[in-house]
Amino acid sequence: MIRSLTDRIDSLPTDEIGGFKVRPGKPLPFGVCHAPNGLNFSIYTSAGTACTLVLFRRGEAQPFAELPFPTNYRIGDVFCMVVFGLDDEDLEYGYRIDGPFDPAAGHRFDSTKVLMDPYARQIAGRDVWGEEPDWQGTYPYRARVSFDDFDWEGEGPLEIAPENLVIYEAHVRGFTRSESSGCKHPGTYAALVEKIPYLKELGVNAIELMPIYEFDEFENSRLHPDTGQRLYNFWGYSTVGFFAPKAGYAATGRFGMQVDEFKQLIKSLHKAGIEVILDVVFNHTAEGNDQGPTLSFKGLDNKTYYMLTPQGYYFNFSGTGNTLNCNNPVVRSLVLDCLRYWASEYHIDGFRFDLASILGRDPWGAPLSNPPLLESLAFDPILSSCKLIAEAWDAGGLYQVGSFPAFGRWGEWNGKYRDCARRYLKGDDGMVGELAQRVQGSPDLYRHSGRSPATSVNFITCHDGFTLADLVSFNGKHNEANGESNRDGGDDNHSWNCGAEGWSDDPGILTLRKRQMMNAMAILLTSRGIPMILMGDEFGRSQHGNNNAYCLDSAISWVDWGLLESNADLYRVVKALIHFRKEHLALRVNNFDGIPNEHLPCCSFHGNQPWQPDWSDQSRQLAWMMAAREPNNPLSTDIVYVATNMAHYASWFTLPDPPPTYQWHLCFNTGDQNQPVHHDQPVFEDSGLLLGERSVVILTASIVP
Amino acid sequence: MELSKSIIQGWQAIHVSGQVDSKTVAELREFIDTKLDEGLPVALDMEGVPFMSSAGLRTLLILHRRTQDMGVLLALVGIASEIADTMKVTGFYDYFTIHPNLESLPPA
Repeated sequence: MIRSLTDRIDSLPTDEIGGFKVRPGKPLPFGVCHAPNGLNFSIYTSAGTACTLVLFRRGEAQPFAELPFPTNYRIGDVFCMVVFGLDDEDLEYGYRIDGPFDPAAGHRFDSTKVLMDPYARQIAGRDVWGEEPDWQGTYPYRARVSFDDFDWEGEGPLEIAPENLVIYEAHVRGFTRSESSGCKHPGTYAALVEKIPYLKELGVNAIELMPIYEFDEFENSRLHPDTGQRLYNFWGYSTVGFFAPKAGYAATGRFGMQVDEFKQLIKSLHKAGIEVILDVVFNHTAEGNDQGPTLSFKGLDNKTYYMLTPQGYYFNFSGTGNTLNCNNPVVRSLVLDCLRYWASEYHIDGFRFDLASILGRDPWGAPLSNPPLLESLAFDPILSSCKLIAEAWDAGGLYQVGSFPAFGRWGEWNGKYRDCARRYLKGDDGMVGELAQRVQGSPDLYRHSGRSPATSVNFITCHDGFTLADLVSFNGKHNEANGESNRDGGDDNHSWNCGAEGWSDDPGILTLRKRQMMNAMAILLTSRGIPMILMGDEFGRSQHGNNNAYCLDSAISWVDWGLLESNADLYRVVKALIHFRKEHLALRVNNFDGIPNEHLPCCSFHGNQPWQPDWSDQSRQLAWMMAAREPNNPLSTDIVYVATNMAHYASWFTLPDPPPTYQWHLCFNTGDQNQPVHHDQPVFEDSGLLLGERSVVILTASIVP
Repeated sequence: MELSKSIIQGWQAIHVSGQVDSKTVAELREFIDTKLDEGLPVALDMEGVPFMSSAGLRTLLILHRRTQDMGVLLALVGIASEIADTMKVTGFYDYFTIHPNLESLPPA
C-alpha cells in the first residue's frame, strides 16, 4: 500500500510477527486501545517470563494467530505492542503467560491457558443470559475491543447534593424480567429505560444497580436437589471483568452492543434527573480459591492480585474463596483506573462498594488505619463529584459502621439504622434512644469525626435480607428454594409477622402489615441522611420469606408488577412521602448543628407531651420535629413534626406550639386506613391527636396566610 | 454487498443490499466518500439490508455528521424492524429521520 507522506511515522509497522505487521506499543493505558492504523495491546505481569498475544475471530474456538512479544516490546513489567490490520469488531483476544507454577511461592502460571485481559472493556462469552455455555471451551470469557465513541449530546453526571438523594436499589434483570413488567425486552438495560417514567413518577432521583460488571450467571450453578430447578449466580457479586458491562443484561448483547445499550440507559436516566450508582465488587473475583478456574489474574500475576497465606493459599475475607489484594499498589491502580473509566466513559454518578472494609486491609489482611486505596479514591480528581458509599463491613469480621476510614468523603450503608428501625417498628423494648440518633442522621456514629448526616445511607431493607413485605409477614427466613436446606441467609432479621407466618387472609393481620410497611417508609423518608428503598417495596413485593435470593432467577426474585395495582394504596403513600421529602428542606439538613430558628431547634424530640420524650425502656412513642430556615426566605422556616406510636394501643400526643403566626397542617396518618395521605394538607387546629396503635402521623407547620 | 445510486424525488438514494458489518462497511464508506453529490438530500435505502453490526451503525452516524456538514437532509429508508429495534435500545435511532419505503419519501 502506498502511504501518504503526511502519515505519522508511528502509524507504520516496524516488524512482522507470524505474518502480522507490528511495532512496539505504549505501556499506557493498560488493555487495548486504538492506535493509528492498529490496536495497542498492553499487559502487566511482574513474575511472568514471556507473553504471547492470542487472537481469535468472534466466537471461534481456535485462535487465528498467536504473536509472542519480542523481548524489546517489554518495558518494566509491561508487554506492549501495536498490531496492524486487525478487524476490531470481529476480534477477541487473550494472553498466554510463561512463568513458574509454584503455589507455595504464590505463582500459578500456566501457559496452556488463554487469559482474559483484566482491562477488557467488553467481554464476550455470556452474551445472552442463561444460554448454556460450552463447558469445554478453552477461553470462556473473551476480551473484545470497545469503541468508546458514544455521543452523550451534552448529558453528564447530575451531581445532585447527597442530602437530596432518594436512592432506589434495583437488580437489572429482576426489576423487569417478569411478564408483568410489560417491557419489550424483559430483564435488560433497555427494559429499565422503559421503566424510567415509573421511577420519575415515584420520585426517586438515584438508582443503585446491583452488579453490572460482567459476571457469569453459571458460576457455581447447580440444580436444586429437590426441585431440579437450575440455580444461578443471579445477583452477580462475583466479577469476571471490572471494565465491562454485563452483556447478558443487554437486549443487544448477542450483537456485542452492550456498551452502547448501557450508555443509552445512563443517558436516559440522566435526562430524567436520575443518578446512576453502581454496586461494585472489588473484594474478590470469580476465580475462587486454589480449586477455582484460572481465568485472568491468577495466571497473570497471582501473587500481586490476591491476598495469600504464607503457604500460598487464598485468604478468604470475602466468604467467596479469594480476596483481591487491594492495597498492593498495582491493584490499587487497577481499581482507580476502573472507577475513573466508569466515571468518565459512562458518566456514572457514584459507587457503592460491596464489603468495602476489605479495601482497608493490608496485603496480610490486617486493617489499616489509613488505607491508601480509600484515600486515593477520596481525593481523586476524576472521582471528585462521585458518591462513594461503603458497605462498611466484610465477611472476615471487620464491622466499621461509624468508623470506616472516610477521609471526609465516604458515605456508608448504615446497618445500624436498619437494625434499629426494624426493632422499633416491631415494638422492641429500649429502642427510642437509639432511634433518636438514627433519624437525625446518626450523630452518635458520625459527628465526632466531622462527618455529616448525608454520610448515612439509611435503609430498612436492601437486596440482602427480607423485602419490606416479608419483614412484616415472616418471623423467620424461608430459603428452601435456594437448595441449602434453609441454612443460608441471615437469622438476625428483626422481623415480625404481625400474627401469622407468611400468607394469611385474616383482614386484621393484612391491615396491620400494610400499616407497618407505611410506618417503615414514613420513618425512613423523614429521617435525615440518604434514604434508600429496595425495588418493589413501594408496592409490597414479596420473596415469600426468602431473605437470600442470590441464586434464584424465578418469580421469587422478579418484581411482580401486578402488585402495583393490588397494593396501590401503599404505593400512593410511598410516592407521597418521597415527594413530601423533596418539598421539605427540614428533612434534608446536612449538618448536625443546623441553624436554629429563633423559636425552634434544628431537630427536637417529643413524646406524649411536647418537649418531653419518654426515653424509658418501655417507651414505644417518639416524635421528632425538624426545622430549617428557607435559604431564599430567612423569615420563613420549614417545620415538619413526625409522631410515631409503635405500641399496640392508641396514644395521645399533644402537639408542640408552632411558632407565632404558624399553624399545623395534617399530611399523613398511617393509622387512617381510609385516608393515610392528605394531599390538601388541611389545617389542624386541635391541640393534639390520638395516634392509633402502631401508627405514624406527619404534620407540617406553615405561616397563617 | 451491492451498492448503487439513483435520484428519486430530488433525493440522491443510495441503495444498499446485503449485510453491513465490519467486513463490508469499508465499501459503504468508500461509496459514500466518492459518490455523494453536494447539495442533494441523501436517502439511504436499506430495504435490502438484513443485519447491521455495531460498525455498520457507526457508519450511519458518520454519514449523519457528513450530511450535517453538507447542510442536507438524511433519511433512512426501509430499515428492518430488528435493526430499528437495535438502534432504539442503543440510542442510534434518535438521530435519524426514518421512512418505511422509498415511495413514502416526501419530495425534496
